Amino acid sequence: MLMLFIFVALVALICINVPIAVALAMAGVIGLLATEGVNSLAAIALDMYGGATKFSLIAIPMFVLAGAIMNAGGITDRLINFVAALIGFVRGGLAMVNIGVSLFFAEISGSAVADVAAMGSILIPQMKKRGYSGALSAAVTSSSASLAIIIPPSIPMILYAASANTSVEQLFVAGLVPGVLGAGGLMGVAYWFARRYDLPTEDAFNIPRLKTTFVEALPAFTLPVVILGGIFGGFVTATEAAGLAVIAALVVSAWYRKVDLKHLRRAMLDGGMQTAVVMLLVAASVLMGGFLTRAQIPQQLAEGILSITSQQWAILLILNVFFLVIGFFLHSAAAIILVVPIVIPLIQQAGIDPVHFGLVVTLNLAIGQQTPPVASVLITSCAVARANIWEVSKVNVYFVAVLVAVLMLCTYVPSVPLFLVEYFYR
Amino acid sequence: MQSLNRISAVMALLLEWIMVALMVALTVVVIVAVLARLLGESFSWYDEVAAIMLAWITYYGSALAALKRRHIGFDTVLLALPPRARMAALLFAEAVVLTFFALMAWAGFQVLAILEGSYLVSLTWVPVQFTQSVIPIGALLFILGQLLSLPDYWSKTARGISLEHAEIEEEVDTEMSRSAGHVIGEVR
Repeated sequence: MLMLFIFVALVALICINVPIAVALAMAGVIGLLATEGVNSLAAIALDMYGGATKFSLIAIPMFVLAGAIMNAGGITDRLINFVAALIGFVRGGLAMVNIGVSLFFAEISGSAVADVAAMGSILIPQMKKRGYSGALSAAVTSSSASLAIIIPPSIPMILYAASANTSVEQLFVAGLVPGVLGAGGLMGVAYWFARRYDLPTEDAFNIPRLKTTFVEALPAFTLPVVILGGIFGGFVTATEAAGLAVIAALVVSAWYRKVDLKHLRRAMLDGGMQTAVVMLLVAASVLMGGFLTRAQIPQQLAEGILSITSQQWAILLILNVFFLVIGFFLHSAAAIILVVPIVIPLIQQAGIDPVHFGLVVTLNLAIGQQTPPVASVLITSCAVARANIWEVSKVNVYFVAVLVAVLMLCTYVPSVPLFLVEYFYR
Repeated sequence: MQSLNRISAVMALLLEWIMVALMVALTVVVIVAVLARLLGESFSWYDEVAAIMLAWITYYGSALAALKRRHIGFDTVLLALPPRARMAALLFAEAVVLTFFALMAWAGFQVLAILEGSYLVSLTWVPVQFTQSVIPIGALLFILGQLLSLPDYWSKTARGISLEHAEIEEEVDTEMSRSAGHVIGEVR
């Protein structure tokens, strides 16, 4: 009864636009008051402090900062030029470039919205000039930027690893293959559209141009090398790699002579504020989590579902549908922090690999960024393309279908995300 | 209204500099620790100090995010309500937020009193009261930020404007003006 009341209160508070972190914390306070009385309220201060000192999450401000420095540091142009020289010759070349750049960009991004704004503002006007419809331009940008959240480094993955107490390094490795597969699929759909609307190719393939653009973009590639090489080689932890990424970003920007203190200050501020917003959610979830654990909610949920079925495929199906619904209404960070701690006991008891499940959750929530009403990436793309969100969604359905197909593949063929993990770590 | 804007601007500036200072400090600490570890050295204070800095970034940054209304929320239902119900719900929501942070400030001061005389594990000259002061101070700053940004939020919500969409439009406009006239194949 109490649980039902708390749940209703939580949903009601979120619906009247109380910040989700505060709604969660308030639900925790109601739980505390009801079960332990007024004297237990000091726990608010202890949990909110303890929750904000999670060491593994220090990677978040570092990656966000590295991404913000890179965004300001002249890297976007060079990446686009290089990818254009690499795959621009295909029919629908600019769409291919868009997808390819998203993949590279994902390496250095904290905020999908900032990336879409930075990259889309260059590519989308060009696409429209070359005869792509605004809706198609926005759909390509939005779906590929969302796929990018499963490619390391990914803030949602860091949050998942902290919530599920699993290895963020392994989760990063698990994202690689599905990321590349997804990009291939998106390119396939883009090609189909290009044939249908007879969209142009860009300049013909040209080795010298590829070389010059590659050399120009070369310093920018140090970042993925530092991050992926360092982590996969086992030299550094994710947090340490994040620190190195900041150094690399600074060095690369200095190389391009694009460091200026005003940008740097802006990057620090954006990074800090984004971190704070996510960390407040984490801290609030600790306050709520204490109550949930004492009330044994996650265990009861696990027993409840396991009494219906203990088939892994059925449990994964239920959770996928559940996260898909959640993704309509919540940002990915909020969804992970809110839901993952509750379903983890179920995952463990059903014998599902937490790294596998982590990939399923992040990919699922990437799709959630494409589904209004809460769909920040889609909304940003539409704003850049000056296109109507429903018109874009009609085109985007085909791209989202690719993402759903990759999600199903990863869900039901665990070796797709996991074989590299097995190879590196197990 | 004018003086309210001025107070907001001063608070924003102050918090922004605190945030920049904290971010610089955290970055330096993390980088020094990584480089030191790769060279075979490690600092006993690193984990504890870095974690405390993260907590400080969380609460000073949250107050700033409250001032700029950047916390993650869901406004679709609220904006769909008829005007009178919408504004009533908004007032109730604000009251809930203020109540929570008032409770957090109060609990924070209680805990501070208990922590009198304790020091950090790795840096024994730093009182825990100092590191934990961020809870009550952060809560009070959050309340201030929330109140200062309320008039703008009120008028936007009354007109049915979503803050998140307004923020995205702003970000897109800056980037579009920066990229205007850009041609692929050239570097700005």
